[in-house]
Amino acid sequence: MDKKFQKIAAIEIIVVMLLWEGLAYFQLIPTYLSSPTIILAAMWDLIKSGEIISHMGASLYRSMFGFVVVIIIGVGLGILAGYYKKIGNFFDPIINAINPIPKIALLPILMVWFGMTDTTRILIIFLTAFFPTFVATRDGVRSMKQVHLWAAENMGASQLQLLYKVVFPGTLPKIFDGLRVSLGLTFVMMFSSEIIGASNGAGLGFLILNADLVGRTDIMFAAVAFIAVLGFIFDRILLKVRSKLLWWDLNQA
Amino acid sequence: MKNKMPAIQIENLRKVYSSGNEDVLAIQDVSLDIPEGKFVSIVGPSGCGKSTFLHIVGGFIQKTAGTVRIRGKEVEKPGPDRGMMFQESALFPWKNVFDNVAWGLEVQGVPKAKRKEIVEGFLKLVRLWEFRNHLPSQLSGGMRQRVSLARVLAFNPDVLLMDEPFGALDAQTREEMQVELQRIWSESQKSVLFVTHDIEEAVFLSDRVIVFSGRPATITEIIDIKFDRPRDLSLYKSSQFRDYRNHIWDLLHEEHHKPVTSTSEVVNG
Ligand SMILES: Nc1ncnc2c1ncn2[C@@H]1O[C@H](COP(=O)(O)OP(=O)(O)O)[C@@H](O)[C@H]1O
Ligand SMILES: [Mg+2]
Repeated sequence: MDKKFQKIAAIEIIVVMLLWEGLAYFQLIPTYLSSPTIILAAMWDLIKSGEIISHMGASLYRSMFGFVVVIIIGVGLGILAGYYKKIGNFFDPIINAINPIPKIALLPILMVWFGMTDTTRILIIFLTAFFPTFVATRDGVRSMKQVHLWAAENMGASQLQLLYKVVFPGTLPKIFDGLRVSLGLTFVMMFSSEIIGASNGAGLGFLILNADLVGRTDIMFAAVAFIAVLGFIFDRILLKVRSKLLWWDLNQA
Repeated sequence: MKNKMPAIQIENLRKVYSSGNEDVLAIQDVSLDIPEGKFVSIVGPSGCGKSTFLHIVGGFIQKTAGTVRIRGKEVEKPGPDRGMMFQESALFPWKNVFDNVAWGLEVQGVPKAKRKEIVEGFLKLVRLWEFRNHLPSQLSGGMRQRVSLARVLAFNPDVLLMDEPFGALDAQTREEMQVELQRIWSESQKSVLFVTHDIEEAVFLSDRVIVFSGRPATITEIIDIKFDRPRDLSLYKSSQFRDYRNHIWDLLHEEHHKPVTSTSEVVNG
């Protein structure tokens, strides 16, 4: 993102906030729409009391657990399915069948199997976030330049060396494209996965539902804002890691 | 010389591509010897099967029939006894120049210090040692091909296979590269099988030129080029050079008048 665009984005946000604040101040919008200052105050309260730590910790634990499994299984399986025709042919129909299903629809089934547990929540996060990474990796491998593979074979590389010294680095730009979409989805699912068993748990999703029960819209907005902030920070971290690893990709964004 | 084993020996090579429901005969029964230490070029019209031919010798694709031997040993799969330079750049964009050239040595387990010595030697040979920390994408087309050549030479193959390595370069760079290649080749004394569609390039560089017919590729004629070495670019202006060139030109253009021998079979309508 260049400097000019950053400036425009900042001005945009400030203008919207001021407008929102003004409308709330002159009571031109209903009180359940809250206002930026009230939300900031609620956020500050959550931070001051330390309550936010346990909620954030619980939510991050689940979504990052899911995301790490996506990295390992999504990338690993994607490379194998892209490189070996037989493995690809085996997975393609399964993937094509499951991919269009909204994974949240599987939540009741998972609850029957695993109960209202973190296992269920992490599984639903994983199932949702897995596909973009898997598909991007698999297609990335399939679109690799043939001559790179041939050159490596020519130089005497073993199958294993071919996979981790040529296929993996060659596909890495595409892998990161997939991971970025997946990471976004883990934050979407952070809330969705916590709508089960909300009454006594920790997590930003629980915080929102419990605030709803007692009519505290300011806390609901505050929790949403915390999810947005986390999502933004983790996206930045991913982009940092990406530019570290893909230093050679001179035309990357 | 007569009873010495050829570097590359090809007998009755045949290649049929089966894509979809159509079979394409690309190479028809080509037999050919590349003598040890010689520079042999193949010229032929575009699409006649030259790349296919080299890819089979390199072991990258399967032949339909025939045998290919490197120093008497039959080819089954790719291996570092043959160094292949591809028509498009095959340098790894995620590695700098030094690491690209060192790559083959690394996967073959050559110790680091030895690796550095070898890479330095070959990068100096192609005059690119100063560019060792550059990425391939930061080099010109000609420089990239020199790195590719260094990378291939570094793992010390018995024979070099080169598929139109200068095809994408402008005329002047191409001539410079031809002189460079001759110099480098004369230092390494490797057997070379060089593919080009540029007649003058073939005559300038080669001890022997093989003229391929249009698809399916068969050998039209084999011409020995009897110029002393080292050769320089003024050779282009000599009458003997033009004689060779005109002769090969005629061979390639007679092609166009020969009746189309379509051996492709349509299986499914
Ligand atoms: N993988 C392939 N499948 C089917 N046909 C192919 C394939 N590769 C090459 N061909 C065909 O074989 C012929 C020879 O191609 P190629 O060896 O690349 O020619 P050249 O290098 O002489 O230009 C062409 O007609 C081409 O269309
Ligand atoms: Mg070709």
